Amino acid sequence: MKRLTWLLLIALWFAPAVCTGAETAKIFQEANTSYRTGDHAKAAELYESLTEREPGVATFYYNLANTYVRLGKLSRAILNYEKALRLDPRNGDVRENLRYTRGLLEYRVEDTRNWYLKATEVVLKYVTEREVFAVVLAVLFVFLIGGILFFLNGRGVFWNPWQQFVFVVLLLAALVAFGKQVQSNVIRDAIVMQKECEARYGPSEHDQVAFRMGEGIKVFVMDRREDWSRVLLTNGESGWVKDSDIAEVKV
Amino acid sequence: MAPSLQAEEVRVSASLNKRVVQVGEEVRLNIRISGANTNLQAPRLAQLAGVEAYYTGRASHIAFVNGVSSSNVEFNYTLIPRAIGHFTLNPIDVQVGQSVFQTEALEIEVSGGQSQAVGSQSQGPAQRVPSQSQMPPSVPQAVPQDQVFSASPGTDDNIFVQAVVDRKTLYQNEQMLLTYSLYTRYDTRYEGFDKEPETSGFWIEEFPMVDRDVPRETVRMNGKRYVKADVKKLALFPTAPGNYTIQPGTLKVSIREEPQGSNAFDEFFSDSFFTGGAFFARRQNRLLVPPPIQLVVKPLPENGKPASFQGAVGAFRLSATIDKDKVKQNEPVTLKMVIEGEGNIETITRPKVPVLTGFKTYDADTNSKLFQAENVIGGTKSFEIVFIPKEEGSSFVPPIEFSFFDPRQEKYVTLKTPNFPIQVEHSDQNFQMPQELAGNAIFQKQVKSEGKDIRYIDEKVPEAFSAHAVDWIYTILLWGDLLLLAFLLLLWMKDRQDRLFSKDQALRRRKTARGAASANMNRLKKLAHSSKEEDDVAFFVELEKAMIQYLADKWNLSTYGVTRQDLEETLTAHFGAEDAHLKDVFELYRLCDESRFGKGSVPQASKKIGLKIFQDTVNRIERMRK
Repeated sequence: MKRLTWLLLIALWFAPAVCTGAETAKIFQEANTSYRTGDHAKAAELYESLTEREPGVATFYYNLANTYVRLGKLSRAILNYEKALRLDPRNGDVRENLRYTRGLLEYRVEDTRNWYLKATEVVLKYVTEREVFAVVLAVLFVFLIGGILFFLNGRGVFWNPWQQFVFVVLLLAALVAFGKQVQSNVIRDAIVMQKECEARYGPSEHDQVAFRMGEGIKVFVMDRREDWSRVLLTNGESGWVKDSDIAEVKV
Repeated sequence: MAPSLQAEEVRVSASLNKRVVQVGEEVRLNIRISGANTNLQAPRLAQLAGVEAYYTGRASHIAFVNGVSSSNVEFNYTLIPRAIGHFTLNPIDVQVGQSVFQTEALEIEVSGGQSQAVGSQSQGPAQRVPSQSQMPPSVPQAVPQDQVFSASPGTDDNIFVQAVVDRKTLYQNEQMLLTYSLYTRYDTRYEGFDKEPETSGFWIEEFPMVDRDVPRETVRMNGKRYVKADVKKLALFPTAPGNYTIQPGTLKVSIREEPQGSNAFDEFFSDSFFTGGAFFARRQNRLLVPPPIQLVVKPLPENGKPASFQGAVGAFRLSATIDKDKVKQNEPVTLKMVIEGEGNIETITRPKVPVLTGFKTYDADTNSKLFQAENVIGGTKSFEIVFIPKEEGSSFVPPIEFSFFDPRQEKYVTLKTPNFPIQVEHSDQNFQMPQELAGNAIFQKQVKSEGKDIRYIDEKVPEAFSAHAVDWIYTILLWGDLLLLAFLLLLWMKDRQDRLFSKDQALRRRKTARGAASANMNRLKKLAHSSKEEDDVAFFVELEKAMIQYLADKWNLSTYGVTRQDLEETLTAHFGAEDAHLKDVFELYRLCDESRFGKGSVPQASKKIGLKIFQDTVNRIERMRK
């Protein structure tokens, strides 16, 4: 009787997820059919609804981005490719399509950052924040097991070469995790969503225009002031743009 | 050359054409290296007392069979034993890339013969002349192994060496001749190189020293007459432009101690120069260091450089033949090109074959053979290319261009093979890749992108597990780590406590007294509720024991040796003689005595009183700071 009660509770717990999963799959199939038959507007609408229902699935963002490419909405496409990469950073299709779509843009920004900044970005962009933290926790797990064995085995040598090695790996993993944390939450990526966007020297219409850029350009948000954001480009230029002109890459 | 599918492993071997010889008889030493790049330097032989060695040239061969490339390079030497005996040629080092391989050791048995009497040349005079006719009869002479040489560059003008190049400015890949000329007024024996010349950046070919006519002459310098002999000749090919300094190395000679007087000069030269001289004369060893040589290597001119030029410098001729001019579809035709001439023949690569749409084209075989003529390195290099016509009809193997730079004329020369017409007959046989040519195709179609577009959408329904696997792993690890951390903290605290207790037993008893009292309290409560008559007595016995144990633990008294008197004194000391609770404790003792001696006549209420007194005592003492 007790066992039956437990089974019932588990079934009730998973029931909404199963129902939701079936519904999501149905919408997904419908969206794919719309894309295949060329009804890209409907496909975009369905994929958008999927990203709202299940915001953690890279495929939905990827397909949505493809649909926006077909509709000619390049800034939206790039934004969704970037979101897909956040969730599935090693997906070759996403990277390739993002590269292709960037090639269609009117504006291009040269990357004049130092090589080590570029290399760090490339390395960190290859993994998700969760993956890095999972690695840190896994190494910490091993380290703690080592500590427990030390006490259980009647106090051998705690700081033995194995523990030293694990500790160094733990420090390195923690360093990478810190870098990833900074990349994801401090240096906030955003995409210019307007066809033409003016960056000014200050956060108001009265300030002089510093430079102009077009849709789809990736910027880094450095500061916020009311409705304005200070953005930095990879060529070192910085300026203030209206919040409504950009969309942050956030999943 | 297209890369081979499989490269064979490097094998090095050495062989002699005969093992038993007579003094003065030539023996051919062949060092064979297979499986390596043909771009190898000739191995240097260690000096062997009693045997003269001359480098006589090289030959290389590359072939492709069943998809496997095989290459062989052979270096040939002539050995001339100058003394009777049993000689062991130690393993010879062969440098292949970064690795050094060794040949096996070889044995030579030298017996006396028609030349035995002229063994005085055993230690190799300059040019190591094998000619018997010019040598005075003398006994074979061996050089001691542990000789001490005195370097004397420039200190004795009776003997010196000059390293001379035939040009100081030359083009990249152009041949330059480096000649070592020994000038002496002594009775001199040339012993070889103590330190080899440093020639990095050059491709080197050594001229064999087998001429029986030693190039030597009498020259007059600074009013003195010398005998001059060219002891070594090297052909150098600079591989890159720039300014170079060649360190010419150090030569070893042995001389008779006193220079010859001018009166005996002519006679001396006629007989004893490089002949070993009188066997019983005292000899002295010398090291001779020629000055470094500065060179300027010019880059090849860009002006007029043909598209077919691949680095050949010298003077070459080109010839070509095909094995048949009438074939069936998919049947191979072999074109053989032979490049012959003087220059960097060994480093010449196959001329570029034009892209042919109607043929499949394969590399088949490469052969090279070097020769040294006078002061020039030359040779032949042949390339075989297989053409397989795909379509029937009249066709032709188009001319193939070979270009080289002629440094004498300072211009590029382009040679072409003839245009070979081929009649291709129809055949229903499908094309089959010739097995021996697999992997040697010269042209293969490249996969090229025809256009660009985005990649297609992903239509696979995302699985819940794979989409959230990392999240789940993360959560499990997080909780796992928290649990482990808590467990580790507990272990650490326990360990710390154990260590403290092991040092201080009184502290251990004091800290554990309350726990033990609580356990006893629970047991007493159970006994108190028991309706058995014997349990009444047991209750008070246990109560007294629990009280004594607690008080003894708390104040570090012996549990077994402590008397009631001791406890009363300790309690009085801590509570004060007038303390009301002290009286309760005494009441407890009275109850215990009454139970013990009254045989169970103690009422149930007394058990509760006893328990309460015990509990109050524990609580009160626990609240006390000490």
